[in-house]
Amino acid sequence: MKIALGILQMVLLVMGAPLLRGIVGRLKALLQRRQGASVWRPYSDLWKLLHKEDLTPPSASFVFGLAPLLVFAASILVTAFIPLLADSALLGSAGDFILMVYLLAFGRFFLALGGIDGGSAFGGMGASREVLVSCLAEAPLLLGLVAVAIQSSSVSIVGMAGWALGQSFFNISAVHLLAFLALAIVALAETGRMPVDNPTTHLELTMIHEGMVLEYSGPNLALIEWASAIKLSAIIGLLIAIFAPWGMAVASSPAGIGLALVVLLAKTFAILVALAVIESAIAKLRMYAVPDFLGVAAAISTLAVILTALMKR
Amino acid sequence: MGILETTAGKVLSSYSVFLFLTVLAQAAVRRFSTSVFLFGLQSAIIAIQVAVIGYHEKLVEAYIVAALIVVLKVLGIPYAFFRLIEKLHAPREVKTSTSAAESVFIAVGIICLSYAAVRSYASGVQAPEDGLAASVALILTGAFLMVSRKRALMQMIGLLVLENGIFLAALTTTFGMPLVIEIGIFFDVLMGLFLMGLFVFRIRDTFDHMDVSKLRKLRG
Amino acid sequence: MRVLECPLRLINFVGRFSPPVFVQTEIAAAKRCLTRASLLLATMFSVAISTGCNAGDRGLLNSEVRRLDPSVLAPFPFTFSLDRLGLFFLVLILAVALPVLIFSVSYVSRHYTPARQKWLWALLLLFIASMVGVVAASSGFAFLVAWEIMSLTSAGLILLEGSSGERRHNLFIYLLMTHAGTAAVIASFLVFLPHSHTLDFTALRAAGATLPHGARIALFLLAFVGFGTKAGIIPLHLWLPRAHPIAPSPVSALMSGVMLKIAVYGFVRFAFDFLPGGPAWFGYLVLIAGAVSGLLGVLYALAVHDLKRLLAYSSIENIGIIYMGLGAALIFTAHDARTWAALALAGALVHSLNHALFKSLLFLGSGAIADSTHTVDLEKLGGLQRRMPVTGSVFLIGCCSIMGLPLFNGFIGEWMILRSFIGGSTLVNTNAQLVLPLMVGVLALIGGLAAACFVRVYGVAFLGRPRSAEAENAHASPRAMRVGTVMLASACMAMGVWPGIFLRPIVSLAQSLVRAADAPPETLMISHVIPWVAAAFILLLGGTALLKRVKRQARTWACGLPGLTSRMQYTSNSITKPVRFVFARVYKADRTLQMLPEDRPYFPASISYHSERTTSYERSLYRPFVDGVMAAANQLRRLQTGNIQVYLLYIVLTLVLLLLYLRFAG
Repeated sequence: MKIALGILQMVLLVMGAPLLRGIVGRLKALLQRRQGASVWRPYSDLWKLLHKEDLTPPSASFVFGLAPLLVFAASILVTAFIPLLADSALLGSAGDFILMVYLLAFGRFFLALGGIDGGSAFGGMGASREVLVSCLAEAPLLLGLVAVAIQSSSVSIVGMAGWALGQSFFNISAVHLLAFLALAIVALAETGRMPVDNPTTHLELTMIHEGMVLEYSGPNLALIEWASAIKLSAIIGLLIAIFAPWGMAVASSPAGIGLALVVLLAKTFAILVALAVIESAIAKLRMYAVPDFLGVAAAISTLAVILTALMKR
Repeated sequence: MGILETTAGKVLSSYSVFLFLTVLAQAAVRRFSTSVFLFGLQSAIIAIQVAVIGYHEKLVEAYIVAALIVVLKVLGIPYAFFRLIEKLHAPREVKTSTSAAESVFIAVGIICLSYAAVRSYASGVQAPEDGLAASVALILTGAFLMVSRKRALMQMIGLLVLENGIFLAALTTTFGMPLVIEIGIFFDVLMGLFLMGLFVFRIRDTFDHMDVSKLRKLRG
Repeated sequence: MRVLECPLRLINFVGRFSPPVFVQTEIAAAKRCLTRASLLLATMFSVAISTGCNAGDRGLLNSEVRRLDPSVLAPFPFTFSLDRLGLFFLVLILAVALPVLIFSVSYVSRHYTPARQKWLWALLLLFIASMVGVVAASSGFAFLVAWEIMSLTSAGLILLEGSSGERRHNLFIYLLMTHAGTAAVIASFLVFLPHSHTLDFTALRAAGATLPHGARIALFLLAFVGFGTKAGIIPLHLWLPRAHPIAPSPVSALMSGVMLKIAVYGFVRFAFDFLPGGPAWFGYLVLIAGAVSGLLGVLYALAVHDLKRLLAYSSIENIGIIYMGLGAALIFTAHDARTWAALALAGALVHSLNHALFKSLLFLGSGAIADSTHTVDLEKLGGLQRRMPVTGSVFLIGCCSIMGLPLFNGFIGEWMILRSFIGGSTLVNTNAQLVLPLMVGVLALIGGLAAACFVRVYGVAFLGRPRSAEAENAHASPRAMRVGTVMLASACMAMGVWPGIFLRPIVSLAQSLVRAADAPPETLMISHVIPWVAAAFILLLGGTALLKRVKRQARTWACGLPGLTSRMQYTSNSITKPVRFVFARVYKADRTLQMLPEDRPYFPASISYHSERTTSYERSLYRPFVDGVMAAANQLRRLQTGNIQVYLLYIVLTLVLLLLYLRFAG
């Protein structure tokens, strides 16, 4: 039963990922008083891309073709760590957050290599900016999760969610609040959203993620876009699980799971609305202002870790 | 009544968290108006704290003090600041000597320092350690704002934050001061602000800007 | 468990054949007129390997000790014995030495004249034998003799590569610093002497339990400085980026992969075996030194584009990580949290083994690149993956391992050290409760920067288009070179996907060193999870690879220009420029920009730009020290007047002083 539930959670995250992207796009359009594309558009994009040809530059090596597969596999594996509907996940009690974070790094590394392999200047540009953002985002990500882990005495995401389930909503822990702020900033950097990176830009000089995938087309591009959408849904699921897990089914009865699904959709929609507002209200940061932004996240997460020792909550 | 009790209890034990958040935010912001808004928020939190203490200790004067704080510091002073910014046509961004990340790291250091300083004292006196640490943090943050910001207006805000911290320290250690002393302190602050506002206008008229780092040119 | 003995049986199996392998080499070498001396050395070496392999069969899982006492041959107290710690490092040495030697069979014959080859083989085998001697030594004397032979043979091997002026200068600095470190090590043995009366390790162990506090502190600091110089802790690291690039590639692999770990062995032997139970500040010292080395090492690696120098700086970074684990273990033992200490120490030891494997793999890869393109400058490479497929693939595996990606072996050690840092939060009401979790952030930053560095290395060297004619005409490496690197790469992948094969012996070794009661449960967890993750990964990869696709080649988009040249790609310096810009305070570069003619600055005829980075230690730490020593020496020179009567006066004065001393103090 637990395994079936775990697989259901993974399927939800993987299959629902393009829908989340579509919803964010539609919300942003509404905020900017445009018509906007339909929320199901990313699915039709993926379908179209999967039926096109795979174009490869003649100077590229096998890494160019291998990278999208590796990125896609790594993203799917990350979703196995995250509890959504109940207090368990497929790799829940066995896998810890360090393994999850490093699996994300795995995908990023190979995407950067794929960008360089294309042989154009834009790929190198995207790769060099990507390594800047990721090397500075890793410390606040790990520190924020460490603060939550120390507070909840557990290193697995399932354990953190279980601890938070046991607390009442009004017992706001200072550590959790600070960790949430830091992880929200890092989430914007990791998923390549404003103000760190504009996911809808066509100007190559402003691209980070898009620059690396500029040479890809067809099924390769479909896998990469899908992987990036899965990353967004996984990180949203992670934030919900750690900081606001109330509503998760404690006993795995179908009624409980159904209720948990409804609550999950409501929470996800709230986060998507917040994301759309942030993306529409804040301008993209200049490239060398991003380290400052991530430095603020690092400082906040450092404070969260220090407070686990200082405050008696 | 039960909900009010629990909420009062919650506020009593968790307000310091929000004050720490405003400390971090003050260090990181880049706009005057946001800085002034944060100061108003800090004063509002302190006003709520005073009202809750009044509710717990059944002191009527506490409600009066809370109302005074709201009128003066949450509504009056920020409004005066916004008018001042408009009249001076001051630039909207805050010029700092440290970048945003460095400022937040210094703010983190300030918070740790306040905890370290308060630890030995608070166990002796029966005072809540978090509240006392928050007040010391506010004092140090006010001082830090005055040191690291280059515009005269920001230094005024720094002084106000520092005064907030002193007020909060008095509040936590004595659970409310006599009303007369509170009013006296308020008038002191208001006098200081009037004088500083006058001086800011004079500086602007004489030099055409308010960047205090350029005062170094007056050196012989 | 049977499956855990598999690798040990494999080593044993190889060991049984190694005499024949080396006899084969010897016969082949004899055909090229090797001298008798090197034949003797080769035989000694194969004996050493066989002994090691036979010992490995039984030794790792229980604490059996073998003793070899050749002091009948010489009047000095030479004793050799292998306990579990020594056995672990012996396995490390042999696991790296075998592929490196196979690589060298082809590399040496292609790059050196036959006369040089004799010397090279002799010194190489003696180098490896001396390292075996260091870990097998069980008396201070044997340890120091083997240590000295190790330093001298490595210097000789560097000299064999060439002896131009700059190489001699770098070699001199290497010898100077390694002897300074050896002096500190000798001093630490000597400080033990009044308490233990012999230099035998069992006596040292017994004396260490009852040392007075001052002696313990002095010993620890001497051992830290001595072994730290050899290991490359900042600021004692100055010789590393000078010596490793100028050595032949197999020798660099051995120096970086194995010799640094021998220094770690020495430090572990002193800190955990001889001097257990020190105060917590010992651990903090080691932890901070490790953190600084890790950060600065990787930041300097980001700034260089000479591949071998880069790998040398990266070794400094990884030694920093190992020392962070050792420091955490010392802090935990000081607070009596022995299970966590076992986890931290096991993590440090695991990372030593993994680093030995992947660093030597990367150095051998750079040797293959040098062999094929005659350059290791990243700015001149590119597109090598298509021209050297096997070398490129194993280099990719090495880069993934050094970045600590899961499913490669580098992840395991870093994971264990990170988990032990998080465990530091259980030491309530101590400084460690604050410091250790914050070290997670430092280690995460180090890992992120290492990822930036090695994305650049592999991307610029192997991907994209070639940036010079040499890279364009690169050819695949000869078979022996490929076999050596493939052996190391498969070890990396196997250990990454199935960590259980080596974790339990190392964890029980760490437990015995810190006297922990039970094994940390985390290691069991990781040994179970990683194979499942790997299986799921391969399943997903296979599934997505089965997608039906139509492939076509199309040129890279060139913005409408007729075509892209290789100069339009990002260079090694440009990929790391954003990171170097953010950390600009660390690199204080001296930049000179000259535009000619100077009176017309807006219409320059020529512009020259020179940028040089000297590390700040040389200016602020070493230069004043060296100047002080030279000034003192100049003052002392006044004693040497050249007048024979003054010298006779010195002798008479000494006599008079001794008489007075006897009279008044006696």
